[in-house]
Amino acid sequence: MTDMRVDQHNRLDEQLLLFMDQLEALEEKRHKLNSLIEEGWFSIAKARYSMGNKQVSVLQYASEMEPLVHVEASLLAGGTAEFKCERRENKTEEPKNNTIEDIGAKETGWRRINTKQKGVKEEEQDTDPQVKTKAESSTPEHRDPLKWFGILVPQNLKQAQSAFKEVITLSAEIASLQSAILATRKEMQMKEKQEKTEKTKPEIKEE
Amino acid sequence: MPGRGKLIAVIGDEDTCTGFLLGGIGELNKNRKPNFLVVEKDTSITEIEETFKSFLARSDIGIILINQFIAEMIRHAIDAHMESIPAVLEIPSKEHPYDASKDSILRRAKGMFSAEDFR
Repeated sequence: MTDMRVDQHNRLDEQLLLFMDQLEALEEKRHKLNSLIEEGWFSIAKARYSMGNKQVSVLQYASEMEPLVHVEASLLAGGTAEFKCERRENKTEEPKNNTIEDIGAKETGWRRINTKQKGVKEEEQDTDPQVKTKAESSTPEHRDPLKWFGILVPQNLKQAQSAFKEVITLSAEIASLQSAILATRKEMQMKEKQEKTEKTKPEIKEE
Repeated sequence: MPGRGKLIAVIGDEDTCTGFLLGGIGELNKNRKPNFLVVEKDTSITEIEETFKSFLARSDIGIILINQFIAEMIRHAIDAHMESIPAVLEIPSKEHPYDASKDSILRRAKGMFSAEDFR
């Protein structure tokens, strides 16, 4: 009986230590998140100063938006939710750039071999895929939100973007940690209640 | 959409929303409903609360980020939300720094060290 109790106490102690560790990790991450957000705001404010007051506001938001970030949410045992941040980088842009480069190289090759008239025809044919790739890249799907605010945006806005990108990944980590903390707390409370009921039982018997 | 991750929603002031949208979380779905709400001076509390509840009801949202001063306005709604998905995260705003003692999650976690637990 006493062995059981010692074991239970040890388990409760372990849980409490885990709980404290989780809280400490949360505070650390929170601190980092807050300073990153602050950094982002400073950069936005600087960009606004150089671009003009109304140039970085709600009015510039695109009419069509596609998310570039997703969180993979999964429910673990004990009701804990885990969030993993997945960023869809502009991977599609790279092959497109390559195709444009390839077309350019072929063109110069053809021009050297063919006569003037033929060269003009080939040029016409070759320009078509170029136009297509341009049209594809301008679809809202892979648009960088930075472009809402203009093509040549100040460096500060780019800094703000990278700060907020980090904030997003960090917020997913914090969300998982919060969920884990709540689950640990729930478990501890359950165990404590169990122990209390076990303690009271023998007292009643003795009486 | 099946096989795709969930979204991150934001309820915040203009700069907070701008920042997170720059980070690439913004979405306008088929019904042109956004996953963010820019809270301005004239935004009513009922509007904020309704948007928050609509975000909770959406199955494609995984995390809701909300400025802490806005969370204070609809504290009852946040306290009532007990599910782990979507997770609600309180973030600071320009005028109001983050205060851990106001955070719903931390208050819940702290609850276990209240006087009642030691009786």
